[in-house]
Amino acid sequence: MLEKAGTAGQEKQKQDHLKELHAAILTLRAKRERLFAETAALKDLKDKLDQGLPLEEEETDDFMQLEQFLLKSRLMQLKDLQTVYHLIGGYNLIESKQGKSVCVSFRTAFEGMYLETYNLEMDLRRTVQISRHNIPPCVPLERLAKEHLQADFKAFLEILSLHLNALAGRKQQVLLIKELIGTVEIIERNQLCNFLVFMCKIQEETEAAVLCTLEYGDLTQCLPTRVTIESENKTLAESPQWKKNQVLLMESPVHSALLTMRKVGSIV
Amino acid sequence: MRKNKPVFVGKQTDMGTMEQKLNEELKQLQREIEVCEAEQDSYVRSISLQHGEALRGVLQTLYNKKEKGDGTLKKDVSKLITDITDTEKDLRRQTNISGITLTECCVKTLEKNERKTIQQYRLTGHCCFLSFQVEFALVDIQDSDSSLQKITDLNVILDGAEFKDLCAFVSRVEETKSLFLFFRTLRLFSERCKQRSCTLQYFKEKYPDVVRLPEGCRSEVMMIQSPKLPGCTMSIFWKISVSKEGVVQPKLELLMKMPEQAQKMDTNNVMETAPEAFRSLLKIFGVEASIESLIKSVCF
Repeated sequence: MLEKAGTAGQEKQKQDHLKELHAAILTLRAKRERLFAETAALKDLKDKLDQGLPLEEEETDDFMQLEQFLLKSRLMQLKDLQTVYHLIGGYNLIESKQGKSVCVSFRTAFEGMYLETYNLEMDLRRTVQISRHNIPPCVPLERLAKEHLQADFKAFLEILSLHLNALAGRKQQVLLIKELIGTVEIIERNQLCNFLVFMCKIQEETEAAVLCTLEYGDLTQCLPTRVTIESENKTLAESPQWKKNQVLLMESPVHSALLTMRKVGSIV
Repeated sequence: MRKNKPVFVGKQTDMGTMEQKLNEELKQLQREIEVCEAEQDSYVRSISLQHGEALRGVLQTLYNKKEKGDGTLKKDVSKLITDITDTEKDLRRQTNISGITLTECCVKTLEKNERKTIQQYRLTGHCCFLSFQVEFALVDIQDSDSSLQKITDLNVILDGAEFKDLCAFVSRVEETKSLFLFFRTLRLFSERCKQRSCTLQYFKEKYPDVVRLPEGCRSEVMMIQSPKLPGCTMSIFWKISVSKEGVVQPKLELLMKMPEQAQKMDTNNVMETAPEAFRSLLKIFGVEASIESLIKSVCF
């Protein structure tokens, strides 16, 4: 008896499930029909506009649809612009409903690759104050806030973005060294990525190597402010080729400089 | 149209196949809906791109209705209008903060599947009085545990006399696809250009008899000439250089010209020492004060 009840229960479950599926299908079919009709009307509208025909306002139903489409199209256009501003380096600012606080997103990018996004929440009630953030501690946020936040909000956002983008850029350069030039050995680096020491091999078989030290004095830049070249082979370090390489390392991002150096045969 | 009533079959296996069939139909419907929505989106984008201007009048009527509190507006229309005004507000703020005005923006989806989306963007706009046109492709890859966004194919077209010195920078930007760097540098560069233009204009208006701008206030050259010493001119070249990596640096140089007779009387060798003296002035007093003192020196 129990067994029979069991299978009957299972069957009922299955039937219910099938009913649900059917209902879902009916809903979607209706949605599809509606969308097909809307799209056809939209195509009609587009053709009329392309041909320069006047739009008939008397057909109120059609006109209401037209209004909706126009509004949707305007909204889409505006949303596209919004996306673009974020893509070209704008800040995503979201205000809370009563204007009591604002959340700013900072995107970072280096050479076309989008990197980390950092967020900062600011309390706007009496004076502008930072309430929450995920900015890495190596970035001097407090000092920047002290210097700029009250006086010029725009300047504060700009300088912080510069710091964050430069940090992301320096970090990315180290990653690219490892990815693109496997023979270079990173000896020392730090969190702020403003101090980098690496060793380049000169020739395949020998132990001949050159030690390069890069110091980034300006934290808003991705380029070093000082480059030191050292080697056991003093003549090599002083050679015109390596003087050129030193300049190269000062004037272009590390990975590009190293690639060029490898191309001309300075390193392997 | 009479909708089909579902038929329930008691046997297990039949229910299994029925479930499978229904699931397939569900999936098929979802796919068709996605395609239809994408088609709608592309019509909508195309309409606003080609007929945006003409339709603005119709939209304005709707906005006015909403503002007057006209009860005839349907709820979803009203919501759309609110979304529009909110987005417009955000865009005004973006323009203000970024210093960049976008006048045209075309987006085209080149490829879209579950994992990867490729979109092509074409932007036109200006920063102060410098116009640009930028085209790029954005690749967006979403994996289960990571996401990647990358620019491929960057093309930059700049318009204006100020841009003749930016060729090296623009080539580098296009090569490395550095979109952020481009706009960051563009803003800085146009700020310096504006500063220069305002300063030159200011001096021209303050000392109209002495200061000449042979190429207008948007150029690099300012000539100082005292009416009492014709033939002796001081030319200030105010160059704003942009390095390959986007470092913007104003560089000012002074060049003096004197007719031969004046040169003979130049016992203090002013002609040769002036440029260096000017550089020192710049370091101590800055641009405006240095130029002012130069002008005053000929205005005795």
